[in-house]
Amino acid sequence: MSAYLISMATYVGFFMILAIALNLQWGMTGMVNFGIAGFYALGAYSSGLLTVKAGWPVGFAMPAAAVVGIAAGALVALLSIRLREDFLAIVTLGFGELIRLIALNEDEITEGPRGLKIDARPFADMFDRTTYPIVYLAMVLAVVALAFFIAERIRRSPMGRSLRAIREDDVVAEVLGKNVLRHRVQVFAIGAGFMGAAGALYAHYVQNISPEVFMPMVAIFIWMSVIVGGAGNNWGLLLGAGIVMAILEGSRFMGDFIDFLDAEKLSAIRVILIGVLLIIILRVRPRGLMPEPRFRYGRSPGGGSSTADAQS
Amino acid sequence: MNMQLFVNGIVNAALIAPPAIAFSLLFGVMRFPNFAIGGYITAGAFAAYAFNVQLGLPLLASAVAAMALTGFIVWLSDIIVFKPMRGHGPVTLLVVSIALTLILEHIIRIIYSAEVRGFDIPLQRPVKFAGIRITYEQMDIIALALAVAVATHLLLRFTNIGKAMRATADNPVLAEVRGINTGLVIGFTWLFCGALFGLTGVLAGLDLVIEPLLGWNLTIPIFAAAILGGIGSPYGAMLGAVMVGMAEELTVLVLPSSYKVGVGFMIIAVLLLARPHGLLGQPEIRK
Amino acid sequence: MSRNITRRTVLKSGAATFAAATMAPAILRAADDINVGSLTPNTGGGGPFGPKITASHKRVVELVNSQGGVLGRQINLTQENSETNPESAVRAADKLINVNGVIGILGTWSSSVTLGIMPKCQEAGVIQMCTSSSADIPVRDEKGLVFNFQALSPVWGRAIASLALRRGFNTFNLMALNNDFTRSMMDGFVEIVGADKVMIDPFYYNGNQSSYRSEVSQLIESNPDAVFIPSYVTDFTAVYKEIFRQGYEGQVITVSISTGSKFKEAVGEAANGIIHGLPVPPISSEAYRQYVEEAELEQMDGVQHPFGTAGRDQMSTLLLAVEKAGTTDTAQVAKAMWDVTTGEGKKTVYNITDGLAAIRAGEEINYSGASSSVEFDAEGMVLGRDFQLAEIKGGADVVIERLEY
Repeated sequence: MSAYLISMATYVGFFMILAIALNLQWGMTGMVNFGIAGFYALGAYSSGLLTVKAGWPVGFAMPAAAVVGIAAGALVALLSIRLREDFLAIVTLGFGELIRLIALNEDEITEGPRGLKIDARPFADMFDRTTYPIVYLAMVLAVVALAFFIAERIRRSPMGRSLRAIREDDVVAEVLGKNVLRHRVQVFAIGAGFMGAAGALYAHYVQNISPEVFMPMVAIFIWMSVIVGGAGNNWGLLLGAGIVMAILEGSRFMGDFIDFLDAEKLSAIRVILIGVLLIIILRVRPRGLMPEPRFRYGRSPGGGSSTADAQS
Repeated sequence: MNMQLFVNGIVNAALIAPPAIAFSLLFGVMRFPNFAIGGYITAGAFAAYAFNVQLGLPLLASAVAAMALTGFIVWLSDIIVFKPMRGHGPVTLLVVSIALTLILEHIIRIIYSAEVRGFDIPLQRPVKFAGIRITYEQMDIIALALAVAVATHLLLRFTNIGKAMRATADNPVLAEVRGINTGLVIGFTWLFCGALFGLTGVLAGLDLVIEPLLGWNLTIPIFAAAILGGIGSPYGAMLGAVMVGMAEELTVLVLPSSYKVGVGFMIIAVLLLARPHGLLGQPEIRK
Repeated sequence: MSRNITRRTVLKSGAATFAAATMAPAILRAADDINVGSLTPNTGGGGPFGPKITASHKRVVELVNSQGGVLGRQINLTQENSETNPESAVRAADKLINVNGVIGILGTWSSSVTLGIMPKCQEAGVIQMCTSSSADIPVRDEKGLVFNFQALSPVWGRAIASLALRRGFNTFNLMALNNDFTRSMMDGFVEIVGADKVMIDPFYYNGNQSSYRSEVSQLIESNPDAVFIPSYVTDFTAVYKEIFRQGYEGQVITVSISTGSKFKEAVGEAANGIIHGLPVPPISSEAYRQYVEEAELEQMDGVQHPFGTAGRDQMSTLLLAVEKAGTTDTAQVAKAMWDVTTGEGKKTVYNITDGLAAIRAGEEINYSGASSSVEFDAEGMVLGRDFQLAEIKGGADVVIERLEY
């Protein structure tokens, strides 16, 4: 049982990193990204392929995945910087699908639909089979903490304030002399880097990745995490990621109790539940369970660290 | 071969055009991209299946009944889901519409399971001339698409409700001030678009196969067509449908067909990057 | 500061609720039961087949439990849905292994799921039984814990090709759904008919396309005698409608999983004339007859449930192997799998009841199943299932040829 909780916590960790990244891109900056699965896949395949096909040590491959994520994020952001947010949603969704199609079709490199088997695991020799999952969880949580720390730093920095200004109104932000383009690209790339890192962590954890893993549904779960938790609030989305995973996994246990529903109906009900819950939360608490603290501008002219003030 | 691909593209376009027009109209009035169209279309297909196969009505009657029922479902989705959330940002509503399409798809799964279904009419062999092949059914689909386009044009141009729709799309506040009952206009728009999604469900069910993901599979080409034409512009949506329909079919000449599902996206991406407001769309002045 | 405490409290209470919810079934479970997991594709691509496998697993377990179980212990079956998706399946497998403590995970269908959960299963020493066709399965099974009840897909392709050649077709075109199962089937097919008889390069389509028109145009353009389309039922239905509409008059050949009764209902009379093949249960076999009875199906000439039969055989052989091994230690159970299924000069049994009785009487048994005679090679892959080619005539399958092994 505890082994199960540890591995679920690890999965929640992946979700948390993705959610923090999305929160940077959307929650703080207002840049919509529906291509989460694409950046996640890019990280997973980069790290997987670098270890399997290029023979890199895993300690180099995993950071490289984050770098690939950053580069791809910067590219997507540069190309689509002028788009309205709902159009950006579609372009990023397309990016995600394109990455998946490449992984599926370029099978001479990616092994295509057969899936890529990844043997390499970080620090695997140093621990035995029972402690290793805990070590891995610790590693994932360390990355969560790092991502969280960076995201919080950005949020509280002057850059964070200008990001919010961009989110609320980029025309005004432009007029105010903020370098809209640069900040947007920077933040989008950082977020994509986190997603790449999450993908790498995922790949070496499950040790077998295939294109089917990276369906757009992943993006929807992460969006739910951020929305349920409270966009803009890094604490809230940690909660959100936990809740989403609890619903996804908890509903499995429903099946152990309920006999009269067959698995097909049960899994349909699970998705319906998720959808209804999302709509209800957005309706009742449109800013999520833990809304973003409101910033008061102008009270503290220096760094923004003391200006945070809970709205409720 | 190339002539046949051309015909293929036209049939595709005829399938995509009505829902792209509806999507575009809906966007114009509601101001958010409604991803739930996948769920609406699937609902339309299954409604027609229920009338046609389970109740034994002729296909034509089933199609009309399915359009009415889908129109009602779509209108109801506004009343229950979207209406209480007016004033939320487009992205929030986009996420809500994704949730809605998942809900619709899975309700259908519970009722009908994932098995494949078809209408109770025989498949047709094509007529062949000048090296191309086309069935009467496909000609009907093309004729219907044209009829929908003309009807929508007449509606928007010459009827009071159509003019009111355009006014509301242009500027809801001004429309309200000028005495237009925007609530009524919005309700009518949902109903009308819903009926078009229902029609698409029927045609897609004829063309492909009736199953819970039917509408979802069409969503991206429809999006692409609507965006290509300039979102919110029904005429543009027709043009967009032709271009997307053609592009998808002609892909096989240049790319392995396993990349085909990405073509819609690529068109959207390239076009948006070059012309962020679509082919016929007007730059929007953001408040 | 106080704000932080509330946040932590929220997080903690959330985690606690989650933990409590997940613990509950563990508490309900009797300590002495033998835990077995079933992970079937009840939704997604395998949706039409998963429930049949699930039902078979359940029937065998209920039967065994009502007769006193195995090794005097009851079987506790936990069923999960793989959603035909490796991402979800890995987490389901995690639950089966770590919460339910299963000794085996049975019923995975798509190769990506079977391979996806393999690292977890290997690490935890859990037996896997699947009906997957990827040639990678034996390669990646390093501990000898995986048993495949399905012929590998190149075998499908080769068998269908040789049956097609016997029908006298001379030129072929191929297109396949883009996945591992169908891809390697295509390779097997080309290997037998010879590349010179294939008119254009075989190509792939994806399962969620909004139209298959140009693919079909390409496929039939050179007007081959026959086209071979390895596929699943959903995409094949749409593809076949298009083939018919484009007026192709040659022979359409596919796999039988794409042409079940729902396909025939959806397509109607147009389905007549399609030739399809797949590894089949030995229809004349006693085990198959019993399966049809247990599943309350009507006896028909055609094959009804290639995967449901495999589900019955998976659960039966696993439990027989447990009884034979006298332990639930998976390494020993896996070894005992060969003892109860493979080898000559043993008593042939067709169901679990007879098998358990024979083992308890000290006899050596060879289980002959409903899906095949269930003989495994050294890698745990099932040896030669019968292969059958059928033609749809008057809305029903008429067997035209059978390859027996």
